[in-house]
This record gives sequence, C-alpha cells and structure tokens, in this order.
Amino acid sequence: MIRALHLTKRFSPTGPAVIDDLSVEIFDGNFISLVGRSGSGKSTLLYLISSLDRKYEGEVFYDQSEITHMPMQELHNLRNRQMGFVFQFHYLINELTALENILLPARKAGLLKEKESTAHELLKTVGLDEKAHRLPNQLSGGEQQRVAIARALIMQPKYLFADEPTGNLDTHNGDAVMNLFARFNQDHKTTIVYVTHDREFAKRASRQIELVDGKIVSDEAH
Amino acid sequence: MMFLSLRHLSSRKKQSALILLGIVIGTAAYVAISGMMLGFQDKLMDQLVNNDAHIRISAREDILTAEQLDSFENAKHVFWYTPPSGRKDSAKIDYPIGWFNRLNADPEIVAYSPQVNLNVIFNRGKVSLAGRMIGSDPHRQMRVTNIQSYMLSGKFTDVGSSGNRLIIGKALMNKIGASLSETILISSGKNTPTPFKIVGVFETGIKQIDETTVFSALSDAQNLRGAPSEITDIAIKVYHPFEVDQKVQNWRMGARDKIVSWQEASASILSVFKTQDIVRNSMTISIIVVAGFGIYNILSILVTQKRRDIAIMRSMGFTPKDIMLLFFNQGLLLGVLGGFIGLALGYLLCLLIGNIEVEAGRATSSSNRMIVSYDYLIYVKAWFIALFSSVASALWPSRQAAKLEPMDIIREGG
Ligand SMILES: Nc1ncnc2c1ncn2[C@@H]1O[C@H](COP(=O)(O)OP(=O)(O)O)[C@@H](O)[C@H]1O
Ligand SMILES: [Mg+2]
Repeated sequence: MIRALHLTKRFSPTGPAVIDDLSVEIFDGNFISLVGRSGSGKSTLLYLISSLDRKYEGEVFYDQSEITHMPMQELHNLRNRQMGFVFQFHYLINELTALENILLPARKAGLLKEKESTAHELLKTVGLDEKAHRLPNQLSGGEQQRVAIARALIMQPKYLFADEPTGNLDTHNGDAVMNLFARFNQDHKTTIVYVTHDREFAKRASRQIELVDGKIVSDEAH
Repeated sequence: MMFLSLRHLSSRKKQSALILLGIVIGTAAYVAISGMMLGFQDKLMDQLVNNDAHIRISAREDILTAEQLDSFENAKHVFWYTPPSGRKDSAKIDYPIGWFNRLNADPEIVAYSPQVNLNVIFNRGKVSLAGRMIGSDPHRQMRVTNIQSYMLSGKFTDVGSSGNRLIIGKALMNKIGASLSETILISSGKNTPTPFKIVGVFETGIKQIDETTVFSALSDAQNLRGAPSEITDIAIKVYHPFEVDQKVQNWRMGARDKIVSWQEASASILSVFKTQDIVRNSMTISIIVVAGFGIYNILSILVTQKRRDIAIMRSMGFTPKDIMLLFFNQGLLLGVLGGFIGLALGYLLCLLIGNIEVEAGRATSSSNRMIVSYDYLIYVKAWFIALFSSVASALWPSRQAAKLEPMDIIREGG
C-alpha cells in the first residue's frame, strides 16, 4: 500500500505549490487513472508517489517505510523488484534488442536466466514474439511502447506507474496498451497508476482521480 | 554493467577503434623507444661502470712554475735564463702504501689494482703510433674490470708478472699491422725502444680504447717508465658503484692525489642519458594527454547522449555506482585492451629493431645489432601508463553520469 500524507511540492522555495497538501491512499490491486488539465500536477504527483522525486514536504509511505528515510540500497531494491515504469517516451536502450531491453531489470537483479521464459511470455503477450531480436530502431512507436511495458513487468512488480503511456500512440495502439494494463491488473493483481489526459482511456481504470491545481477534486471508484 | 559497456563500445566501432589505436600506438611507441634507449643506456652504463675502475686514484699532474723552485736554499741567488715550466715529468702517487692500507681495511672495496699508466709510442717497421700502456698485475686488474670478457684471443693473465708481454686492442693491432705472437717496439719517449711480444687481443667496442691501449705487466711498465716501484694510478672496484660519491668526498679530504669516480669520469655521457630520459618522459606525457583526452571526450559526449538511458536505468533500480561503472568500464576496457595490444606491438617492434644491423659501436652487441632492452619494467610502466591515462580520464565523465538525478532528466524529456 502507498500512502501520501499532506504532500506538498514546490519547485522553488517561494514558488507555487504544484502539489498542494495532498493526501491519498493507494491500495494493493488498485487500477487508477490520474486525470486533469495539462499543468494540473499529474506527472508531478506520479513521480512523488513512485519514489523518483524525493524532494517534497509531507510523507510518502510504502507499507510502513517512508521514502526519504529509506536506506538508498533498500530504495534501489524496491525500484528493481517492486516497481515498473512506463514513460510517454519509451526510453528503450538503443544498443539492446527488444528481448535484452525487457531483461535489463532482471540482469540488475541477477536473475537473467530465471526470467528468460517470463520475457518470452511477455513478448508473446504484447504480440512481439517474432521481433524479440530486433533493435528499437527496427520497431514502430507502438511496438516500442509495448516493449517498454514488457520491460516494466518483467520482475512481476507490485506497482506499475505510467505517465501518459498512450500519449504518443494512435487509438488502436493506445487500446492495446490499455488492454495489457487491465489484464495484468486482473491476472497478477498488479497495482497500476497511470496518467492520461484522454477521457476514454481514463475510464478503463477502476478508480479515477482528478487533479486541479495540485489538489484532488474527485476520487471515484466504479 | 560490463555487458552494456561492451554494447556501447561495439555500437560505436569506429570511435572505439580510433581511441584504441591511439592507446596502442602510444604504448607501443613507449615500449619500442624505451627499449632502444634503455638498451643503449644499459650497454653503455655497463661499460661505464665496469670497463674501468669505479674509482681511480691517480697522480696529480703538477704544472711547474718558477716560484715553486724558489723554496730551496740559496734560491735568492739563482736566476733563470728560461724559467722551467710545463708538466712535471714524473707524476707518481707519492705514498701508495698509505692508500693500500686504507683500501685493505675498507669493507666496501671489492679489489684494487695498482697501475702504471703511461703514454708510449708503438713502432713496427716504418709505422709508429702514439698510445697508452697500462701496466698492472693481471690477476688484480681482472678483479677490478671486466677486461677478460673482451678478450678475442689469449687470456688476460698471459702478460704474467714480467717478461715484456702485452695484450693489445684489436684496432690498434690492425693499425700498426701487427699480428698475434709478433713482437713490436715500444718506447716511452726517454729510453731506447723495448721489444714487447703480443700475447693477446681484446676488443671492448669502445674505439678510444681499442685503438690506443695495450696492457702489460706492472713491472714491465715500471721499467719502461724508468722508475721501478713507482705507480701512477690505483684502480678500485667497489661493491656499490652507485654509492661512491660519499667515499670519494671523504678520500679527497687531505689527499694530494687526484681521485675520480666513474660517474665524474663519464659525466658527459651520463648527462646524455638524462636528456634521453627527459625526451622519453615528455613523449610519454604527450601520449597520456592525447589518449586520455580522447577517452574523456568520447565518454563526455556519450554521457550526454545517454541521459535518458541513465534515467530509465535508475528507475529500474540501477545504482549511481552502476551508472558510473557503465561508463568507467569503457575507459578501463580501452585502456586494458589498448595496453595489451600496445605491449605486444611494442615487443614486436623491439624484435625488429634488435635485428637491424648497424656499424659496430657502443650501442651494438657483439653481432653488430642494435641493443634493445627487454627489461620487464618497461612493459610494466607502459602498461600502467596506458591504464592510468584511460582510467583517470574515464573517471570524471563517469562520475558526472553517476551524479545525474533521474527526475531531472525525465522532466526535461517528458
Ligand atoms: N522542473 C520544473 N520546474 C518548475 N516547474 C515545473 C517543473 N516541472 C513541472 N513544473 C510545473 O508544475 C506544474 C505541474 O506540472 P506537471 O506535473 O507536469 O503537470 P501535468 O503532468 O498535469 O501536465 C506545471 O505548472 C509545471 O509548469
Ligand atoms: Mg505530465
């Protein structure tokens, strides 16, 4: 479970509060979309609750541990074993094939051999088992994003965070990404938080949080 | 991290190969040039240290002046038409026993050899040549210098303790047209020429010695000089030739005789060595700078290009240290590999150079090839230079990469 308490974020000491005294609880197995106008603080909130941004006022708890008080090694392990990230720009490593990109977190964990079959399964799931040995520049944008999702899921993480994962994709590819998310949330009980400004994609989540000026204005489950 | 480092390197083959080439050439050049210079220096140093005495005590050559002659009685009443002047004819070590006692008691001394060194004229038929005779006890002389190892025919001890036999430099023998077992005439300028029989031939490779010098028994040289029992020089060998300075300083105090260490005798050559070392070292430094700058540049550019990779890897749990190693390994790899290839290439170059035939001289071996040093220290040094320059220049960009905050990169790329 992730718990944010009185979270406030300013980019400069005297600047505006981009996230303003925000508290939220994210339960295991939640499938959440973060919506709101551009500039409302969605990305900022996502990075705060996902440990990437550790400069804030307030507290962010992972189960019992507060992020800023966690020893660095524990944080690295948490990111490696329990979190997956998908960004709007897929950030694949150009020198590595699709399969190697997917296995990179496993390599860090020292589980390269153990995760090989998982990687192939994931490639099949995202529909790219034929293209395992292609380099990123030999894949389309949609294919690259699916590789990035497979990479985020290789360690079977407890949490998956995605910032506008469909932002650069057409509706068809965007749908495919959403289907993948829904499936993982159902099959593996992966907690998923994704940012989107697309109303339709936002509805695919089971819980929808809307931000205005760094504050939660609605938090609905269906 | 090695895996990804290797991928980075191999996906930029041209760039990596160029840097590698720089390190290879630098390392190889260092090995080859050091091998050549040190080969030359070692050979020469060996000659400088061992061909002659480590310390030579010799009679001071006084210049006679009119004032010096004023000391005897009635000097006031003596007037010269032409005042006597010039070098005293019979320079000798005044009190050799004193030196012998001192040398016998000194544990630092390996051996010493009393000598008569004199300028002589060699005569054979119509040929006459000026040169130098060194008279010594051959057994003592052999313990002081390595002359025996330069003998081409005969043994150095063949001069015996008397009997007018001599060992002659090969070039000198050729010049006067003599051959082994022949008898030549030698005069010291004062008395009638004395016949000496050639019983051995040597060649040190040093022209000045081979063209001018003969060795004889001490007593024969003393007789030729016309002063039996006098000696002009004492040649001394010590255990630690590189530590003779202090000893020479001590001996000079209160001594009338001239005392010269081998280092002082060959100061001009030693200063050439110093110049060579400076050249060698400045070459090394320029290699370090060039290779190092190449690595630094490429890694700095790479770090900038790979900011997004760094961010995503950090979000996967890679640590700052992992990121540092990702880039650092590349410098290290280039250094290690380039160093290795460079060493091998340098070694091959040395083999080639060692096969070049050159005119006989100081820096050649007995087969007239260039002398090349294969001292392992050259290789160790070259290796460390390659490694150090690449490691040092990889360190800075790698550390910069490790310091990057994933959040900053993601925000600017989002
Ligand atoms: N690095 C930054 N420095 C200063 N202001 C920033 C920075 N990043 C974001 N902001 C500001 O914070 C606010 C929220 O940004 P963001 O979380 O990216 O919004 P969203 O993702 O909802 O579009 C915006 O007003 C933006 O200008
Ligand atoms: Mg955003």
